[in-house]
Amino acid sequence: MAIDDRVLRGEFVNLRPLRVADAELTFRWRSADRARFLNAGARTVEEQADWIAARPVAEHNFIIELADARPVGMVSLTDIDRVDRRGEPGRFLIGDEVAVHGVPAAVEAMKLLYRLAFDDLDLVRVCGTVAAENKLMLKWQKFLGMREEGRLRDHLLLDGRFQDAVLLGLLVEDYRTTTLPRMNALIAAARSR
Amino acid sequence: MTYSPEELPMLDHRLDHDAVQGMVLHALETLNDERGADDELVVGPRTRLFGADAELDSLALVSVIVDVEEAVSAASGRTISLTDDRAMSQETSPYTDVESLTAYVVELLSEPA
Repeated sequence: MAIDDRVLRGEFVNLRPLRVADAELTFRWRSADRARFLNAGARTVEEQADWIAARPVAEHNFIIELADARPVGMVSLTDIDRVDRRGEPGRFLIGDEVAVHGVPAAVEAMKLLYRLAFDDLDLVRVCGTVAAENKLMLKWQKFLGMREEGRLRDHLLLDGRFQDAVLLGLLVEDYRTTTLPRMNALIAAARSR
Repeated sequence: MTYSPEELPMLDHRLDHDAVQGMVLHALETLNDERGADDELVVGPRTRLFGADAELDSLALVSVIVDVEEAVSAASGRTISLTDDRAMSQETSPYTDVESLTAYVVELLSEPA
């Protein structure tokens, strides 16, 4: 099976490839307040469908589904450089927050994505930027092992206002020693009811 | 009662139950500051955190863990980990609710550094 068609299976969530049929749902998620820190996206469902259809095969764009196949969010691995062995996780959004209360959906989705990056694709580094005012995401990424590597001043125009972007990076050795144990701990916490 | 990091009570580097509970509640209120009005939690000693009937997703839980670890360190000078093997092996998950997390932190702080 080609890696692009593959469903990445976890205990609580699965990652399945993003499809054009997801345009209406993902457009709704991206239009919600909690998506305010993502880059500006499509303005209509049709534009969202066009954007999905135009994704290059080198990108891995996923819908996060619960075990019962309910879609709850999205996440991607893009800008994969097979020579320098790096990639960029991003477009990370939990769209249905109520559905994931008490469920380690976000952490297991990231675990599956990092497994793809570091184990399947054999990358040695993932990196990306987070809006400086997105404190929840910065806290999350640093807890999971990412390190701050720089700050890009007034890099993002969000909601009509410029703000800095924080550059974060994670190396494969930190993934194995820090990220994976912490992810496993959070997932284990959801098992103990 | 909640405590911001600047007003954390210190008891000879030993934090009592109320002080730790204040830190947990403050972490939840900080979380509310970072969420939209529609997503705000009802914060109180009985707020359920993670697991069945819980209020938090894993992203929000991490925010609470990080803030509580930092607040405890600032107030007591002790470094604690709320996600190590010991935390995971507790009979009752420390993340069940505000009280269980408070009790677990107090237990850690009651031990010799």
